[in-house]
Amino acid sequence: MAPLPSRNTQLAQRRAGFESTLEMLDYAARGETGVSFYNAKGELLSALTWREVRERAHVTARKLIGAGFAAGERLLITADTWPGFFDTFFGAQYAGLVPVPVSIPVGIGGKDAYLDQLRRQLLASGAVAAVGIDDLAGFLADAAREFPAVRLHGGSRALEALPEKAVDLRPLGAADLCYIQFSSGSTRHPHGVQITQRALMANLAGMTGPAGLDVIPGDRAASWLPLYHDMGLIGFLMAPLSCQLSIDYLTPRDFARRPMQWLNIISRNRGTISYSPSFGYDLSTRRGATQVPADLDLSSWRRAGIGGDMIRPEVLNRFADAFEPTGFDRKAFIPSYGMAEVCLAITFSPKGAGVRTDVVDRVALADRQRAIPATDPQDGKRARSFVLCGRVLPGHLLEVRDPEGKPLADRQVGRLFIKGPSVMPGYFGEPEATREVLSDDGWLDTGDLGYWLSGEVVVTGRAKDLIIINGRNVWPQDIEWAIEARRIVKNGDTAAFSVDVGEGERVVVAVLARVSGAEAREALARDVAGAVREAIAVDCDVALVPPTTGLPMTSSGKLSRARTKANYLAGLYAPPASPSKPAAA
Amino acid sequence: MPDPGTGEPLLRTAHQLIVENDDIANTLELPRLTTRLDVIREICHHLAPYQAGERPIIGATVIAKDLTIDSLAIMDMVMELEDRFDVSIPMNVVAEIHTVDQLADTILDLRAKR
Repeated sequence: MAPLPSRNTQLAQRRAGFESTLEMLDYAARGETGVSFYNAKGELLSALTWREVRERAHVTARKLIGAGFAAGERLLITADTWPGFFDTFFGAQYAGLVPVPVSIPVGIGGKDAYLDQLRRQLLASGAVAAVGIDDLAGFLADAAREFPAVRLHGGSRALEALPEKAVDLRPLGAADLCYIQFSSGSTRHPHGVQITQRALMANLAGMTGPAGLDVIPGDRAASWLPLYHDMGLIGFLMAPLSCQLSIDYLTPRDFARRPMQWLNIISRNRGTISYSPSFGYDLSTRRGATQVPADLDLSSWRRAGIGGDMIRPEVLNRFADAFEPTGFDRKAFIPSYGMAEVCLAITFSPKGAGVRTDVVDRVALADRQRAIPATDPQDGKRARSFVLCGRVLPGHLLEVRDPEGKPLADRQVGRLFIKGPSVMPGYFGEPEATREVLSDDGWLDTGDLGYWLSGEVVVTGRAKDLIIINGRNVWPQDIEWAIEARRIVKNGDTAAFSVDVGEGERVVVAVLARVSGAEAREALARDVAGAVREAIAVDCDVALVPPTTGLPMTSSGKLSRARTKANYLAGLYAPPASPSKPAAA
Repeated sequence: MPDPGTGEPLLRTAHQLIVENDDIANTLELPRLTTRLDVIREICHHLAPYQAGERPIIGATVIAKDLTIDSLAIMDMVMELEDRFDVSIPMNVVAEIHTVDQLADTILDLRAKR
């Protein structure tokens, strides 16, 4: 099997500007490019041209329509990276159904938490079918048991077994939804972002155009990003499709196992566009830099995007240092900023400029919300560097606002608000949650903090309590609830937050220690960390709080995580004695 | 177990016991037999650095809970075990593993099915 070509011989490149996802696929299907799937050994497992993707999706669509599914109904898909996902995702679209891609289980012992998440996603999306890879058929059956509305569930055979009927396709068009993106809201109360065809087309035009990646004929995409995440699905399926590019895929699991395969695939197939959160660059450097193949050649990689978590310049510098000898160009780095509520991306750092930082005074930032240039940028205690994320995409507006809603000038830190054609109409079936973030006049409250610097936005953190670990959004409520659900402590006895440990975030759980004695305290800390690891697959430090001190509350009697964190950083709470690791601050 | 033909107890050597438990026919290509003990030993070798206090690591040890190992290290360990024993543990099976015993049995089951 040979890799698919990077260029179409006859078909002229169209860079976005389509009416709908299926119009994009119909156009790309006239060429020879497509998608290839690689395993952890770097072997090509299968390849589908866009024409084959389209034909297979037509078959799936006729089966779905023939089985009696009605237009507009939702189809949940466990979104592993394999050809079956493409069949189902595009098949649903040709059948007029709205796909709902969801994650696959992570880690050891995670079954119960995963089933719980599936049930909440079925509830929130009102899905009538739930399909995915064969390995998960049992889990889908378990989760679907409580939902009589789910008329079909199972692995690949569940769809294959349906008879293909001679019915007309019902392709989703310009006025329809495209899919529902779960990546917002906590796992307990998941919010599905409605990705509309129109918003997606607008976002793709910005992303692939001159203010974004400026895609050209011959570009080739490579990705290990999960297809249940907006950066994977929109960034590395929709965006390349909108320009008829070929894409080379590695599953997220295989990337974690053999990060060098990501770089090998780029090298071998002369990939030009690939993205990762900072942690992916970090993993590649840590695991791969010592065993770089002699023939690795990254000189073709002209757009090395970073998004999905707080961008860590030191991590990117290390990656560039390690791989510059293989032809990697550090100017290829493109820091960018976005979220599922705007489909994917809203700002791009200028292409060819690499990572640019602004070094500001930590104290002024914390005390006065001002980003004032640090007097001594080398002084790690006083100086903090942030990455410039570029200008907002054409046709969109971005404002930095103070708590009263007044727009702020350069170097004043406030909350970021966005308006424009990429903004979602709201969360699926959640008018209240929508109203919390989206104003009547179309401004989206991103919940992020940042400041302006000569027309570019600099993101400094999140206003909400949201924790991002390795590119994964984790809500502190979910962590607290996981501990309380195991009855390790009483409800309200925990507060979860994250602290910046220089090159990433570390979760800290403050727990009221209603036990005495070193052994019991140790056991409590271990149980708490174990519960969090099992339920959320996140590692944490545990800080024990004396019951006499208590956890700080807001004036309305709600837990104040921000004040708990401040107390922790001030050293008010003791980490438990060994064996737990000392708390990092 | 009595011989179904004679009703007499079967005489077996320890070696044959291992054969019966570990499906020798499918493991001949390995330099030696993979016994349950080998797998347990390998798992404990990976887990030893994460032992919590003086509590020994036993078959019933809940990996994510009773030890100080973090989730990335667990993932690494599972991958290394997969490579070492040449098996691939499906994600739904991984999601149901809690203890050292369960992990060992899963690996042995998968080896037997190859």
